[in-house]
Amino acid sequence: LARTVESTIRFPYKRSLGPVLGAFMTALTEQRIIGIRSGARVIVPPLEWDPDSGEELAHDFVDVGPAGTVTSWSWVEKPTTQHPLDHPFAFALVRLDGADTGFLHAVDAGSIDAMSTGMRVAPRWKGTRVGHITDLDAFVPGEQPEMAGDDAGPAAEPVTMMDYNAAITYKTPVTPNVERAEQATNEGRFLGLRCPVCARTYTGGKGYCPVDAVELTPDCEIDLPQVGTVTNYTIITPVQYPGQTETEPFARVHVWLDGTDVVLGYQALLDTPNDDVRIGMRVAAMWASEAEKLDQDPRAEGNLVGWMPTGDPDVTDPDLVNRIC
Amino acid sequence: MTRHNDPDDIAIIGWSISPMVRTTDKTEAQMLLEVVTGAVTDAGITRKEVDFTCAGSCDYVAGQAFSFVQNIDAVGAWPPKRDSHVEMDGAWALYEAWVRLLIGDIDVALAMGSGRSSTADPALIYSMEMDPYYLAPLGADATSLAAIQARALLDAGKVTEQQMADIAVRCRRDAKANDHAQVAGDFDAAALLAGDYVRAPLRKHDLPPITDGACAVVIARADKARELCEHPVWITGFAHYSELHNPGLRDLTTSRSTTLAAKAAGVEAGPVEVAEIQAAYTHEEPVLVEALGLGADVVVNPSGGPLAANPVMATGLVRVSEAAHQIRDLGRHRTLAHSTSGPCLQQNLVCVLEGDPT
Repeated sequence: LARTVESTIRFPYKRSLGPVLGAFMTALTEQRIIGIRSGARVIVPPLEWDPDSGEELAHDFVDVGPAGTVTSWSWVEKPTTQHPLDHPFAFALVRLDGADTGFLHAVDAGSIDAMSTGMRVAPRWKGTRVGHITDLDAFVPGEQPEMAGDDAGPAAEPVTMMDYNAAITYKTPVTPNVERAEQATNEGRFLGLRCPVCARTYTGGKGYCPVDAVELTPDCEIDLPQVGTVTNYTIITPVQYPGQTETEPFARVHVWLDGTDVVLGYQALLDTPNDDVRIGMRVAAMWASEAEKLDQDPRAEGNLVGWMPTGDPDVTDPDLVNRIC
Repeated sequence: MTRHNDPDDIAIIGWSISPMVRTTDKTEAQMLLEVVTGAVTDAGITRKEVDFTCAGSCDYVAGQAFSFVQNIDAVGAWPPKRDSHVEMDGAWALYEAWVRLLIGDIDVALAMGSGRSSTADPALIYSMEMDPYYLAPLGADATSLAAIQARALLDAGKVTEQQMADIAVRCRRDAKANDHAQVAGDFDAAALLAGDYVRAPLRKHDLPPITDGACAVVIARADKARELCEHPVWITGFAHYSELHNPGLRDLTTSRSTTLAAKAAGVEAGPVEVAEIQAAYTHEEPVLVEALGLGADVVVNPSGGPLAANPVMATGLVRVSEAAHQIRDLGRHRTLAHSTSGPCLQQNLVCVLEGDPT
């Protein structure tokens, strides 16, 4: 099996609620569940639009419940990190008294044996409620609402926004091509690949020619020069997002390797004041020493520290600026 | 059945299905590279003759924003092509390609679908695609919601757990003859029913496997199809319908949008011999068979279906390929393919295929 790289992506969204969902979330902080009238039906949780006609619904809210009847359910023996409870529970559709639709939520019944279609359930409210679907901690068997912890009371103002946080951890396989490319940078060289169809040269781990859509096998490997010309650049004023270690404006340059089609984008330029960065500068690759490798930020890609000006005369070519890939 | 002489008739002329594996060491683009090469080769053309491409894939599955931008490398950048993408199964990409060819100014289009479900926990990925206010914050995963639908069907007496196990046994047995199957073999329903629930009332055999895979299909307008292909597989009906997202607002014992799509695609106009349907959970098969109006004589999922291999974002396009395979390679005359998206069969697509009369 291939080596994998593990990365966790967080999805921290702030969502505006609008007049209908906002009213529903505000009601939750007041330990109330509201539906909306749509023709003869009461829809819970409320929608903004009539599901049959698509017409906007009047904001004709109806208090429902607090108790209701389970119309269908599933038992979750091993909850995920996104589930509302950390022990076995049921997901259920609950038809709240006065409603005509099923409201999906958790039922904290303790055991699958306590669950049945048609059973009666009532909400267990969180003590601290912020205007979120999980203010309703879970439904519990019975007719009487419960409170988990001390009741901190309803929201002082109508709720207009909600937070949503999720995280997914991915284990992405490292393809053989990427392995070869990483091996090359560890050895202080660029992995070069020449397309057998168009003869363009590439570097990196992509493993195919994007022009001709043919695989670039180890047979296609070539040596690449380590000297090139700056074709374009940008001076970046850093903003302090997580992971940004730069504090002062810094240059990123595009380097076109001599005699190839390879342009390496967004490269670090070494020992050069920002005012001295020029299109046409001649630069050479600088690789980390064995000692520096040990100190290297583990998030750094490969072993390339950056590019050092060679001091050779600049290349003057008005078309250079267009070579950014 | 009529001979297809209308220039607006569109036919499938080639396809390719990747190996279906639990974990691939390829990127999505590399998987697509292979199936695009396979599909154009099958069609007897090169990439240069493709006028339009449409891909189906999902950033949440890929774990990367704009992941589809890399995937189009599989098509080749030169000569430039008209390109599109749907955040849907490749079956919907095929639908868009079909609509594009109906305009009449170009002749050949390619649809593809790809996904690597293996890289993260599907129970965390697919809940991200639920309603962001009422469902996603509860982590409402696809299998929990499917289990609620299964319970509704059990309670209504429309299916039994025994029948669900029998469907799994049949699909895995049929999959033995399918090179693209991931789960295949002879199983005993009683032994399967002795297994633990994953999300009661669903046991492991009621769920699809986690699969990495890709598929590509080439279609052409009538004149081009006849020029390139001895046995074009004609698309005689193609439609999709959607219903309410929140499963609590639907009757889960039927699939109204499937029935509407089947009607719009003209399923009733003739006998269906084989149906390849995207029943990723066992209990979905009887719902879909009823909603499609299929009789007992129709062979359902002879490939083993999604219970044998479920490359999410390509599963529906594989159904189309398998339904086309039944006509071109196995001599059937009229088949259908079905694909679905969203919780508890929210959105459904039906594609009717016919061969030339023999």
